Amino acid sequence: MKGLAFVGAGMAVGFAAALMLFPAAHGANDSAYRQLDLFSDAFERVRADYVHPVDDSQLVTSAIQGMVSGLDPHSSYMDAKAFADMQVQTRGQFGGLGIEVTMEDGLVKVISPIDDTPASKAGIKTGDFIAAIDGTPIQGMQLNDAIQRMRGAEGTKVTLTILREGTKKPFDVALTRAVIHVDSVKFHREGDIGYVRLAAFNEQTTSGLEHAVRELKKQIGPGLRGYVIDLRNNPGGLLDQAVSVAGDFMSAGEVVSTRGRHPDDTRRYQATRSDITDGKPVVVLINGGTASASEIVAGALQDHKRATVEGMESFGKGSVQTIIPLDNGANGALRLTTARYYTPSGHSIQATGIVPDVAVAQGDEDQTSKLDQVAEADLPGHLNAEGAAKKQSGPIIRPAPGKKYDDFQLAYALDLLHGKMTVSSVSTKSADAN
Amino acid sequence: MKPWALTALGGLAGLAGGLAVLPLAQGADDANVQSAYAALDRFGDAFALVRTDYVDSPDDRQLVENALNGMISDLDPHSSYFDPKTYSDMQVKTEGTYGGVGLVIAADTGGIKVVSPIDDTPAAKAGVKSGDAILAIDGKGLQGLSLDKVQDMLRGPAGTKVTLTLLRSGEQKSFEVALERAAIEVEAVKSHREGDVGYIRIPAFNERTSEGLEAAVRNLKKQIGPGLKGYIVDLRDDGGGVLDQAIAVSDDFLNGGEIVSTRGRRPDDTQRYDAKPGDITDGKPIIVLINGGTASASEIVAGALQDHKRATVLGTTSFGKGSVQTIIPLNGGEDGALHLTTARYYTPSGGSIQATGIVPDIAVAQGIQSADTPKILQPSESDLPHHLQAEQQAAAAKINIIRPPAGSKVADFQLSYALDVMNGKIATSRYIKKASTD
Repeated sequence: MKGLAFVGAGMAVGFAAALMLFPAAHGANDSAYRQLDLFSDAFERVRADYVHPVDDSQLVTSAIQGMVSGLDPHSSYMDAKAFADMQVQTRGQFGGLGIEVTMEDGLVKVISPIDDTPASKAGIKTGDFIAAIDGTPIQGMQLNDAIQRMRGAEGTKVTLTILREGTKKPFDVALTRAVIHVDSVKFHREGDIGYVRLAAFNEQTTSGLEHAVRELKKQIGPGLRGYVIDLRNNPGGLLDQAVSVAGDFMSAGEVVSTRGRHPDDTRRYQATRSDITDGKPVVVLINGGTASASEIVAGALQDHKRATVEGMESFGKGSVQTIIPLDNGANGALRLTTARYYTPSGHSIQATGIVPDVAVAQGDEDQTSKLDQVAEADLPGHLNAEGAAKKQSGPIIRPAPGKKYDDFQLAYALDLLHGKMTVSSVSTKSADAN
Repeated sequence: MKPWALTALGGLAGLAGGLAVLPLAQGADDANVQSAYAALDRFGDAFALVRTDYVDSPDDRQLVENALNGMISDLDPHSSYFDPKTYSDMQVKTEGTYGGVGLVIAADTGGIKVVSPIDDTPAAKAGVKSGDAILAIDGKGLQGLSLDKVQDMLRGPAGTKVTLTLLRSGEQKSFEVALERAAIEVEAVKSHREGDVGYIRIPAFNERTSEGLEAAVRNLKKQIGPGLKGYIVDLRDDGGGVLDQAIAVSDDFLNGGEIVSTRGRRPDDTQRYDAKPGDITDGKPIIVLINGGTASASEIVAGALQDHKRATVLGTTSFGKGSVQTIIPLNGGEDGALHLTTARYYTPSGGSIQATGIVPDIAVAQGIQSADTPKILQPSESDLPHHLQAEQQAAAAKINIIRPPAGSKVADFQLSYALDVMNGKIATSRYIKKASTD
């Protein structure tokens, strides 16, 4: 017993040295040492007394995962292998299923299947819960682990066990992994209106948008009346792409700022491009699946009155995660929430989301229970909103009962641009963005 | 001081001095200490980074509690960390009554599930059912919370209110149930006569269980008299409890022999528990009822009576929770405690209960519908993530499961089958009419 106490103490001295290696940790005080002492004490007890010998490294991996994922739903820890895999994946193409997922009630929940991927072809739906991957239950797994298990070489097979609301029994779906071209931009003309769909924000999004706008101008010609930028179910992606996409519609001004814990952490991102749409009216479509980078774009264009934001309130994921490698990645990396996003007018996106100028429902929302429509504010342990009170959206416009629309929100956006609807907040002209 | 300590660990100045106090006589070898050090160092780095870089200023204490939760709960489904508050509450609970809703819960693939509502508690009265998934408590989602945290949320002073969001198998939508917490009497043994047969219900193993059993047997003998044919001991949905009581209860029916052994990591951790002479039921036939909710202490009783051929075990395979948790207070309890798996239970014949459970002598299902219930709504130990593996795998004999005939309206088919066996209406070679004499 005495020996254990000594081991604990010895480890704590080791910790003290580790903490001193971080100059920024000068706030490290008695409390920190005491807590580390407690941790090493517990670690030693587990090593000595658990029913069978345990792997030290696994113990600490679990501990760091517990510590970091307890902070908020977006912070997590990747061990060395997961971190290495992540680096490969962000560099380019990866074999996967094509679903955006989140963690809820201990299960993986599908936020949205990506168009033209194995998942969407196999009929995986928004709101489906994934209970098991290749027969391994998800419960107790970190989200990253689950994602890791779904990914793999192109052509390999994976079976998902799906729980779907309204379906009594879980069912299996067999999928073949494919290279997921996250083809983030699609476009077509809707009469004299250019429709551009941004499905995600990756390295090619800005160039894709610029290509789309050039093509639409060519196809429609001088009669081009305006643009619909569809950010619905766009879960976000790269911040610099959000900044350059917003910049493509603005001649100047702030797009977004990130504010961390210390005042000098504040960073402001300015529009540095010119308006490639020549000041034509823009309607941005958003919904509950519009998150993160998409909310930055919607928020910036809304605050600068450069676009009319139409649809339903966005998800509200306004926190910034930074990947912080431990020991240069040899010990994995933290994916840590380090800042919050603020729109140019100073609204925190976190937990409140972007409130549309014109609230238009798609019409199918009521059939899904609240459980199926997660927003950031519903996630356990979410960061609170900071700053200004939430804006109120106006009355929600819904499709007339009995009328069938493929896409009521889009139809409404087209009507807005055609002037069939008059809404005071519609910006028919590019406002001065300064 | 041995030189290796310096060479192996002297990479960072100042560390060797700290580690030099390691008592080397501990048997800690070079690689072992290095590995522990490297692991702790990694944790220290992560801790320091979170403290300095997280978006809000985190609470050091909370960080370490979450780390301990993560580390311990990843070991197996029954190991957990109790923070100081949970630990002190738990001490209150084992002392007698606590304010709660009366649910036995487990974590499984589908989230937190109700194993069983305890008879006569707010949860049972409000119609909460075995297999219900608990999605939220007072509107708060349960993702990332340990089982103990959830338990903690359910508890509170009697008279306070708590709302559960439940999802039931076969229902499309979740629904809410508002419960008023009550003092949960640590459940008492109940009994009544079924004709000439004494029926004894043991809902849990607490400090008063063997006492309650002995009183029940005395009363049944008095009520039924010399015509008493035997006893049915109902351990269904009995989630277990205190080991001492499982031993005392088994001992009440046995004249001698081993009841259970626990085996830890080292050979000298093995402990054997033996029965003393004296069978309070005078060797009368016993049928023990078990089902998937029969766990831990109740599996010890069923296993001991089965191995000694003292009872016929009837029902469905038990849960398979054959691991022993020890409470290890940290800093005298001031820093909470570890609830750590330290050993496994073995039945007298050497079978590990862990993950395999107790297989009934006569397999009788309660209903025809149970086969249709999705597996994830009927968790057993081997379904739990990171469950301890069974050590030896007995070839599970494919047994024929007896089910109620279609259209049967018997309220409790397992009990009625047991009575039929005991009353000789159903003849089966598996029924043990006489106690063996060991």
